[in-house]
Amino acid sequence: MTEGQPGLWPPPAGGSDLAALLARVARGDQAAFATVYDHAATQVFGLVLRVVRDPAQSEEVTQEVMLEVWRTASRFDPHRGSAMAWLMTVAHRRAVDRVRSGLAAAQREARAAFVEPDYDVVAEEVETRLDAQRVRRCLDSLTDLQRESVTLAYYGGYTYREVAGLLGVAVGTVKTRMRDGLIRLRDCLGAGL
Amino acid sequence: MTIRREVPHTLAGAYALDALTDRDRARFERHLAGCDACRQEAASLREAAARLPAASAVQPPGRLRGQVLAEVARTRQQPPFTADRPAGPGAGRRAVRWRAPRMAVAIVGGCMLVALVLGGLFIDTQHRLSQEQAHGRAIAAVLNAPDATIMSAAAAAGGTATVVMSHRDRALVLTTARLPALPAGRRYQVWLMGSHRARAAGMLPMPRQGMTAPMVVSGLAAGDAVALTVESASGASSPSSAPVVMIVLPS
Repeated sequence: MTEGQPGLWPPPAGGSDLAALLARVARGDQAAFATVYDHAATQVFGLVLRVVRDPAQSEEVTQEVMLEVWRTASRFDPHRGSAMAWLMTVAHRRAVDRVRSGLAAAQREARAAFVEPDYDVVAEEVETRLDAQRVRRCLDSLTDLQRESVTLAYYGGYTYREVAGLLGVAVGTVKTRMRDGLIRLRDCLGAGL
Repeated sequence: MTIRREVPHTLAGAYALDALTDRDRARFERHLAGCDACRQEAASLREAAARLPAASAVQPPGRLRGQVLAEVARTRQQPPFTADRPAGPGAGRRAVRWRAPRMAVAIVGGCMLVALVLGGLFIDTQHRLSQEQAHGRAIAAVLNAPDATIMSAAAAAGGTATVVMSHRDRALVLTTARLPALPAGRRYQVWLMGSHRARAAGMLPMPRQGMTAPMVVSGLAAGDAVALTVESASGASSPSSAPVVMIVLPS
């Protein structure tokens, strides 16, 4: 955890550089890919770790995510969304796939021994910290049910029906809270940019 | 599970959070294909969700970078999608899906998830509802804790116990799957085993479809293990037999 990586995070406003990098990655540019890795690795790994929990599996999933980014970079379409959102979607779906299908593996490994993750939380860079604070502040502006619905789905890897079961709330209510919670989050984050 | 008769658009949030089953997602994506405004909203919610990881960034082990770059150097890339094939972030996902047998989700791996859902489904009265809600919130608190850890152990006589625990909350959520059925008058009792004595932590709920609803156990102390013993249905003040399964909690 001591090998320093270039301080390229956060990406420039609009993330257009990251999109341009992905276009180069799509043409097989390995140096561009290394830069994408350095841009995104902390967020990808942090997200995967939060969802998957098991550090060893989280490393595996992070590696899968990065390889998928390499393999499918040609399918990133800047007209459909930002490069970061594309990356995080790849990462989140991989992580969710792992927890929905792979608890058996988790059990196998957890039985051996659980090693408390000893990772550096990235909080040194001022801009990173500000961005993290903004996200937390915006999450705090959600109602309890909105926040619980969003975070159980996003970090717990649960489907909306499972979230409804967990919260003891009607399925329709959870669907609505996920949608209006994200709308509020979107508007709050947009305003803070 | 069908969304045919519902207003599909309300699923935009769940879609952006990847909180749909594969089937529901396929349906929703068909809906998106015919609705520009919906596509736009879904994309904007996706952008919002994608900002969440900014709050949880963690530096991966340094060796990972070298591994990934080495792997990249020998991995062939996919060609771009042609115009008549939908592109999207889900590309390449199917391969993962197929690798894990679906049954595993229902039987082994999914025991926690399914039990959690079952726990929320059996709601008959308003009173029960608020109880369930408080229970659900207690579960959510543990699952959401930053230090939440999943552990599982197989019982010698068959079945598994799975625990999600948080030291911060000093609590854990316990579910079991396929433990051997007990004769009438006998129940599984849950214990927190400290270094000096065992503390009774309640009776395990009766199984439904082989699984027990999630049970919240609070008052964890450092060095505790969680264990199940077979006791009389009214419970015992100290374990009368060896545990059928025990999980040593990380301290």
